[in-house]
Amino acid sequence: MNASTSESRPAATAAPTAVGTDPFLERIANDEKIEPQDDMPESYRKHLVRQISQHAHSEIVGMLPEGGWITRAPSLKRKEVLLAKVQDEGGHGLYLYAAAETLGVNRADLIDALHSGRAKYSSIFNYATDTWADIGMIGWLVDGAAIMNQVPLCRCSYGPYARAMIRICKEESFHQRQGFDIVHNLMRGTPEQKQMAQDSFDRWWWPTLMMFGPHDSDSVHTQASEWGIKRLSNDELRQRFVDVTVPQASFLGLTIPDPALRWNAERGHYDFGALDWDEFWRVVKGDGPCNEARLSARVKAFNDGAWVREAAVTHARKRSARAANQSDVRGATSSQSRAAA
Amino acid sequence: MAETLVLGGLPEAEALMLADTCLLWAHRLSEWCGHGPAIEEDIALTNTALDAIGQARTLYQAVAATRGGESTEDRLAYFREPDEFRNLQIAAAESGDYAQTVLRSLYLSAWFTGVWESLAQHDSPELRSFAIESAKCARMSFRHAADWVIRFGDGTDESRKRIESAVQALEPLVGELFLTSVTPGDAAQHQSALMERIRSCFSEATLSPFVLPTTDGSARGSTGRERAELLADMQSLARAHPEARW
Amino acid sequence: MSDAAPPASSGDWPLFEVFVRSKQGLDHKHVGSLHASDPAHAIALARDVYTRRQEGVSIWVVPAHAITASAVEQKADNFDPMASKIYRHPTFYDIPEEIGHM
Repeated sequence: MNASTSESRPAATAAPTAVGTDPFLERIANDEKIEPQDDMPESYRKHLVRQISQHAHSEIVGMLPEGGWITRAPSLKRKEVLLAKVQDEGGHGLYLYAAAETLGVNRADLIDALHSGRAKYSSIFNYATDTWADIGMIGWLVDGAAIMNQVPLCRCSYGPYARAMIRICKEESFHQRQGFDIVHNLMRGTPEQKQMAQDSFDRWWWPTLMMFGPHDSDSVHTQASEWGIKRLSNDELRQRFVDVTVPQASFLGLTIPDPALRWNAERGHYDFGALDWDEFWRVVKGDGPCNEARLSARVKAFNDGAWVREAAVTHARKRSARAANQSDVRGATSSQSRAAA
Repeated sequence: MAETLVLGGLPEAEALMLADTCLLWAHRLSEWCGHGPAIEEDIALTNTALDAIGQARTLYQAVAATRGGESTEDRLAYFREPDEFRNLQIAAAESGDYAQTVLRSLYLSAWFTGVWESLAQHDSPELRSFAIESAKCARMSFRHAADWVIRFGDGTDESRKRIESAVQALEPLVGELFLTSVTPGDAAQHQSALMERIRSCFSEATLSPFVLPTTDGSARGSTGRERAELLADMQSLARAHPEARW
Repeated sequence: MSDAAPPASSGDWPLFEVFVRSKQGLDHKHVGSLHASDPAHAIALARDVYTRRQEGVSIWVVPAHAITASAVEQKADNFDPMASKIYRHPTFYDIPEEIGHM
């Protein structure tokens, strides 16, 4: 999943430098990849640390809303698929933390920033998963939106991030398909199942559209596009998502909860209604239905696991001390035998 | 009346015992998903759970196929009552802390390793190939669990205390593993191999030698409740919509 | 490779770089990193983190701090002089057409 960085109001940055005068921007404009040890502006490095770590946090927090349904999945096949999917989210979090660590930061510090509320994660995971249909919607809509955001990131200027995204995108497409498959089955099922799907769709449609972040006109300017990190604007991505998802919804027989939605032949796109940005910022700022539950679950897991992680480190130290001792003994024996020879 | 065989050679009652044990253990492991002590560990634990669910599915499908009629893997998993489940008690027990979780995994994967390796010798090619694949999974899961038991036993004071408490907590449940083997198979050999796997791990973990409990394996009074609660959670959605397909 | 600082607290696992051979006959290739308490632990975890879809037949792990990398400021001096040595490339030589493939 993608923590759209545009969710947190970007800090003011220095005025962009014109390409042509700045050798770094020139490299980016030439589509050169930046690798960990290359010279890079501190603001570029910081922007990446923030974006990649937010993205990693989103993967890890994103395990929770779906994780709660693994034990209750209504068939063994669904249980198996969901477990594999949530496991992938953990893997994606790890790929991304690994990419962030190439920028000279420590994962422990990044996780600390998450736990202390200094770092953000994608707000979409602060919505509740009340019914099984929500698991379908997360896969189909939320992962679908995430893929829309992530595919351009596979070409981003920072090598380790781009490589992590390629790996993630390859794995995500099964996530979206399994979600669609859940919804498809519900819509072919009993009246209760259809109702469950429509109710869930009504709850997830607007929050998913908000995953792409504020309108371009309201976005504070950052250098993310000149830096080759953001290849498409929030509104472009949102429009793309609406355009591909509306026909899917109508195939499924779902009603889109937006009276303003209609095809605009002139633009060649769907027009859609206004988004409720007050709700968006409420959730970003911590007033979503599940902000507290999500974060406290992560903090609890981390704290409860402290003794486990520490035992592993202590054991590894004991083991290597013993190995060193033994090789000292062996070393001493062999030099003795040499001396004797 | 001859007993029904599934997968070309496994008595149905044993198939259900194995499948139920896999499924309920996987359920307990999957409760950790997103809550493990390290993200890397979440993924490792999930792998064991996925292996176990896969094995449960193969066995349920085989049972359903021989029963025919309305029987399906999901009917077997979601619509039997708690007292119809044939699982080893230890599989359905609450996980407790991470020490107890990995100790249960050690016991169960040691047991499954013996079971699958013995079925891997079976005359039925279908059963044999399933058992050979399952044995690989069980050995991986055993390694993972044994590594942790060793880290805990030979780690910090706290981790040692916790693994020792886990040994106590699971003592009433582990005996059943020694009394349960599959056909064909030499029960005495099953017991000694199981004992050896557990003992060598305990010894590397610097724990007191493992001793076979004298109980019959059903001495933990709460196991019935723990299983009923597990199934109430697992079956809740499927039972709320008995006619539904998912 | 990573310049990440040494673990901050006693429970933080060190960083390992992970290399995977995707099939027999190919090189091990860098795929990412992970944290583990020791090399054997890192191998076990790398199997679950980096080969969930059968991406590998062999794994190497290396403590991140053990990797020495060529200096980035030396990049031009290190590698640019090779550009002029065009005679190392087969296309430098004209082979008569009658000879065919060589």
